[in-house]
Amino acid sequence: MSEKVAVSLKINGKEVTLLAAPEQNLLRLLRENGYVEVKCGCEEGDCGTCTVLLDGLSVKSCVTPACACEGREVWTAAGVSRQERIGRLLRDNFAKYGASQCGFCTPGMMVTGVNYLMNNGVPDRQAIRAAISGNLCRCTGYKKIIDAIYHTAQELRRETAGEGML
Amino acid sequence: MGYQFITADSVPHALELLERYGRDARVICGGTDLMVRLHLKRLPECVFINIRNLEELRYIREEDGMVCIGAGTTLSTLENSLLLLGKAPALFQAAQVFADPNVRHSATVGGNIGNASPSADSAPPLLAFDGQVVVARKDGRRLLPIREFFTGVGRTALEPGELVTEVRFKPNPDSAFVKVGLRNAMAISVVNIAASVDLAQDGTMKDVRIAVGAVAPTPVRAVCAENCLRGRRPEEAVIRQAMDAIQTDIKPITDVRASERYRRIVAENMMRRVVLKACRICENEGGAGR
Ligand SMILES: Cc1cc2nc3c(=O)[nH]c(=O)nc-3n(C[C@H](O)[C@H](O)[C@H](O)COP(=O)(O)OP(=O)(O)OC[C@H]3O[C@@H](n4cnc5c(N)ncnc54)[C@H](O)[C@@H]3O)c2cc1C
Ligand code: FES
Ligand code: FES
Repeated sequence: MSEKVAVSLKINGKEVTLLAAPEQNLLRLLRENGYVEVKCGCEEGDCGTCTVLLDGLSVKSCVTPACACEGREVWTAAGVSRQERIGRLLRDNFAKYGASQCGFCTPGMMVTGVNYLMNNGVPDRQAIRAAISGNLCRCTGYKKIIDAIYHTAQELRRETAGEGML
Repeated sequence: MGYQFITADSVPHALELLERYGRDARVICGGTDLMVRLHLKRLPECVFINIRNLEELRYIREEDGMVCIGAGTTLSTLENSLLLLGKAPALFQAAQVFADPNVRHSATVGGNIGNASPSADSAPPLLAFDGQVVVARKDGRRLLPIREFFTGVGRTALEPGELVTEVRFKPNPDSAFVKVGLRNAMAISVVNIAASVDLAQDGTMKDVRIAVGAVAPTPVRAVCAENCLRGRRPEEAVIRQAMDAIQTDIKPITDVRASERYRRIVAENMMRRVVLKACRICENEGGAGR
C-alpha cells in the first residue's frame, strides 16, 4: 500500500487527525478508527449503508476519497442520532415504527433521513421514497422506514407551526 | 511508487500539477467512478489531483445566450437549477434520474464526461444541444465540440496536462431526456436518449438533434433519424421512418445489462418518446426512474 498521510477533519463534532492511504475511501478510514456504526455493504456505491453527512450533505462514504475530507465535517449515524435534535427524533421514530429489523441498512437510512429532514423535508411519502432510493433494505419492505421519516417530518412541521403562533 | 493524493487549491495550481505529473496524473473530483475502480483493482497507480475544493469550478450561469456549467458542479446542483428546468429540460431531466440523491451530492458533470462511459447520462443532452467543452492546460485553453470529445469506451480527446473546466451550450426549452434502466433508482442506462427540437409556428421541426447513449462505444448523434425528421411534422408516419433510420445510427452490443436486440428495440421506441416529449406532445412519458 502507498504511504499514509495525515488527514484532519471533524467527526461528529470532534476535531481528529487520522492516517489515510491516498487510495483509501472514507468508509474504511472511519471503520479503522472505530466508527464501526458506518457499515460496509457493497463498497461500490450501490447499497447506501455506508452513508454519512459530509459538510451537511448525505454521501456514500465508500465512493468518497478519504484524503478529500481534509478540513471537512463528517457526521455518522451514531453522531446524528445522539447529538442532533432531528436525529434523536428520527431515531425514536425508527424504534416506534419498527423501521429497523436486522439493522444493517439502518445507519445509512438514518443519515439519509436526517439529510432529507434537514433540507426542509416535507411529510410526503413519494418524496421520501425518492430520497431513500439509493439505500437498500432487504427486511422491512421500506414501508416502516418511510413511516418513521414521514412522522418525524410531521412532528417537525407541527413544532414550527407552533412557534409561528407564539 | 504507490498512489499519491494532492489537493489543488486553485485552477492554476491544478494545471501546474497536471503539467508536472503528466501521464501519471489523474484528476479526481467526486470520486464516484474512480473509487469504484480502485475497489475493483482496475486503476493503475497514479497521482490523484483532487479538484473537489475548487469552488471556482462550481457554477451554472448564462452568458450571451449560452448556459455555462463549471466542471465541478454536482448533479444535485443541476437537478435543483431553475435555469435548467426552464431552458434546458433535457439536462435537468437527466440529472433527476441520475444514480440516486446521495451519489448526486458527489457526482460532477466534469467527472461524468471525463469518465467517458457510453452510458453517461449527461452526454446525450450535451450532444443534443451541440455543446462545447472548455479544456484548460497550463499554457492556455481550447474549446472542443462535445461531438469530438468522446473517442471510445472510457476514452476522451483530452491530452495529458488538460483539465475540463466547463461545458457550455445554447439551451433549448423544447428538449427532453428519456432513460431506460433495469430498475428505477441507481440504474446504469440500458439506453438513454435526448432530443432538442426547433419548432416552427406551423409545428414543423425546422431542426432536430437527437443523441443516444449505451448503444455504441461512445454516446452518438442519431444523424439518420434526424434527417428523417427535419423539416417535417412529428406525425406518426414520419416518426415511424425515423425509428427505422435510427437503426443505422447505432451499434449496440450485448452485455450484462441487455442484449443487442433488446437495445435496438428500446432505442427506437425511446426515440419516438423523446421526440414527442421534446415537442411537448406527451409530457408524461419519462421512462425509467420517474
Ligand atoms: C452507485 C452509482 C450509480 C451511478 N449511476 C450513474 C447514472 O445513473 N448515470 C451516470 O451517468 N453515471 C452514474 N454513475 C457514475 C458516476 O457517478 C458519474 O459518472 C459521475 O458523474 C462521475 O463524477 P465524479 O466527479 O464522481 O468523477 P470522478 O470519479 O472523480 O472522475 C471520473 C473520471 O473523470 C475524470 N475527471 C473528473 N473531473 C475531470 C475534469 N474536470 N477534467 C478532466 N477529467 C476529469 C477523472 O480523471 C476520472 O477519469 C454511478 C456511480 C455509482 C457509484
Ligand atoms: S458500502 Fe457504500 S454504498 Fe454499499
Ligand atoms: S432492516 Fe435489514 S436491511 Fe433494512
